[in-house]
Amino acid sequence: MSDHTDRHDQRNAPPSAPNRRNLLKGLAFGSAAIGSAGAGLFAGVDPHTGALGLQQAHAATPARSSMAFIQWQPHTVPAAWSKGIEEVLKTQQVIDYKLLDGQNKVEVQVSLMDTLINQRTSVIFLQPIDSVALAPSIAKAKRAGIAVITLNIDATEPHAAHVEMNHYFGAMDIARAMGERMGGKGEVVILNAPPGIIIRDQRTNGFVEGLKKHHPGIKIVADQVADWSRKKAQDVLTTLLAANPNVGGVYGVNDSMALGAVDVAKAKGLLGKMVIFGNDGEKDALESIEKGELTGTQYTDVYQQGRFAASAAAVLATGLVPATAFKQQGKLLMPYVIATKDNVAQIQPSQRW
Amino acid sequence: MHERSATTALLILLAVALGAGGLFVPGLLTAGSAEDLMAGFSFVAILAIGQAFPILLRGVDLSIGAIVALAGMVTFDLVLIWQVPGWLVIPAALMVATAAGALNGVLIVKLRLAPFVATLATLGAYRGLVFAISGRQLVPSLSTTPIRDPWIIGIETWFDVGGALGLSDTLRLPAIPLQFIVMIVLLVLLQALLRTTPFGRDVYAVGGNQEAARLAGIATGRITIAAYAISGFCAGVAALVLVARLTTSTEALGTGMELTAIAAAVMGGVSLAGGVGGLVGPAIAAFLLGVVLIGLTVMGVPQFVQQVLTGVILLIAISYDRLLLMRRRARQDAAGAAETP
Repeated sequence: MSDHTDRHDQRNAPPSAPNRRNLLKGLAFGSAAIGSAGAGLFAGVDPHTGALGLQQAHAATPARSSMAFIQWQPHTVPAAWSKGIEEVLKTQQVIDYKLLDGQNKVEVQVSLMDTLINQRTSVIFLQPIDSVALAPSIAKAKRAGIAVITLNIDATEPHAAHVEMNHYFGAMDIARAMGERMGGKGEVVILNAPPGIIIRDQRTNGFVEGLKKHHPGIKIVADQVADWSRKKAQDVLTTLLAANPNVGGVYGVNDSMALGAVDVAKAKGLLGKMVIFGNDGEKDALESIEKGELTGTQYTDVYQQGRFAASAAAVLATGLVPATAFKQQGKLLMPYVIATKDNVAQIQPSQRW
Repeated sequence: MHERSATTALLILLAVALGAGGLFVPGLLTAGSAEDLMAGFSFVAILAIGQAFPILLRGVDLSIGAIVALAGMVTFDLVLIWQVPGWLVIPAALMVATAAGALNGVLIVKLRLAPFVATLATLGAYRGLVFAISGRQLVPSLSTTPIRDPWIIGIETWFDVGGALGLSDTLRLPAIPLQFIVMIVLLVLLQALLRTTPFGRDVYAVGGNQEAARLAGIATGRITIAAYAISGFCAGVAALVLVARLTTSTEALGTGMELTAIAAAVMGGVSLAGGVGGLVGPAIAAFLLGVVLIGLTVMGVPQFVQQVLTGVILLIAISYDRLLLMRRRARQDAAGAAETP
């Protein structure tokens, strides 16, 4: 273990020599590299003042910096984040950005982290598949001075920043809205995510605490794993309803599972009798609410979430704050609305994902 | 002679892949990148080395990905739930993996199942077992607790070769991860087992012609069970390496790894027709695949294209293997024809 840390310390410790080397390298190769990219040495400079280019030369940072987002696997949520991130980074001119696919495998995400660290990426956006398994990689990135910003799923290793949908408080609000519709009494079931990520605990605990606080008369009769999946949720809920015929409410930890519950309610003629809430606020869920099928969901503008994360990243990259300078992890909770039939029309088409 | 030329060809391919990758992927040709390769693909090499044994017997082991998950979850449970010390957990996990591999062999020998069918069945069974014994489901709070046992985490140790030689000022040599050394040791031991012992001779005999081997008095059943047990053991070693790297284990660990391992073994010159090949080729081929996969991913090539490309690489390797087999047969026929008159 000590060998490992030493190695990274060596890589980063002597501040003067590498900086000087980087400066020389930047002077020698910078023009050629950027010239070939068709951008010119002063690509990031304000054409009127030229100030930024000079500052950069003094600070000995590379003229261009790169950022990358390692997603879980291709899905509507990370795709929307990436769109938001790109909107902000594109306007910075000097930041290259790419979206990488974690292929739903922790070892692939870990290998990608290694590669990005080796490439001296300035900021890594990460949607970890597992909160623990990616922690050693985040620690390694930090030792190399690379800022890591996690999206939605936090990691057990503290890092530069975490930008998340408001899982806990949003879930509390869902519990309140759901209880109001159920008249403060009855039985509910939870369609849950598999264990291993913090988001599951936050969304479950928030809901449980919310019911306790606002509607102590409502009982949770079952809490079952449905793997984030609409299909799996249909099977799980069908089985649950056989054992608990009086269930009046279903809480889906994501929209896909809530929509699976809608499918079951539709098939059993329970639509309108059963209160069903989801989480996330994806396009399909909003349409389902408009049709009067899904009762409601916690809606977050995930484009905006991507923009917020990218803004933080741009500040970190241009402010020359090394990741090692962070003593405590920053955290940003996204604003949200509990979307129901009454207010869903307020969500503009450009905010739907 | 044949194996040596195949190894040389692979090394040339590896150099070509690195060269081509270096043009497109910044930072691929650095010491840091070599470290990433050694840390990220040693377990694939270990799996490919293990997979070579069933393939040498004209079989295949599809269950190794599930065995990785099984051994990983046994480690997780023992360390975090029962707090067993690491020096006991490591042999326990290896024993479970070896037993799971041996069971594959027993099914193939005793029930006379085709290896493909037997290991496909155990793939499902072992993966199901992982979910059943998963400490993350039984004690949800543990799923966000990292493994801190020094014996387990110690597998993720690095050796600074450049520093030890006093070269770190002039030259940056890659630090060597312990798992790479584990892979090399395993490679040397198993290669020696194959090349110098009666067991190894019997493996080639059974793989070349099972009926002839049986008639020659070789206990083909025992050889088969041992070969699958070795494959399971290697999956256990790979699992420990992964758990050390991740500080946890997941139910999905190792999913799809069997295909990568089979691809590496076949590319490494182990003939699917049985009885031909060694272990050095598969180990090199694992790293070759690693360079290709890392390169493609960083270039932003989508996953499905990568799967197609992996499939194409495997097809080329298999076609080449067939070509060699046909040439061998033709040569034997020619030799036979020369003898008979």
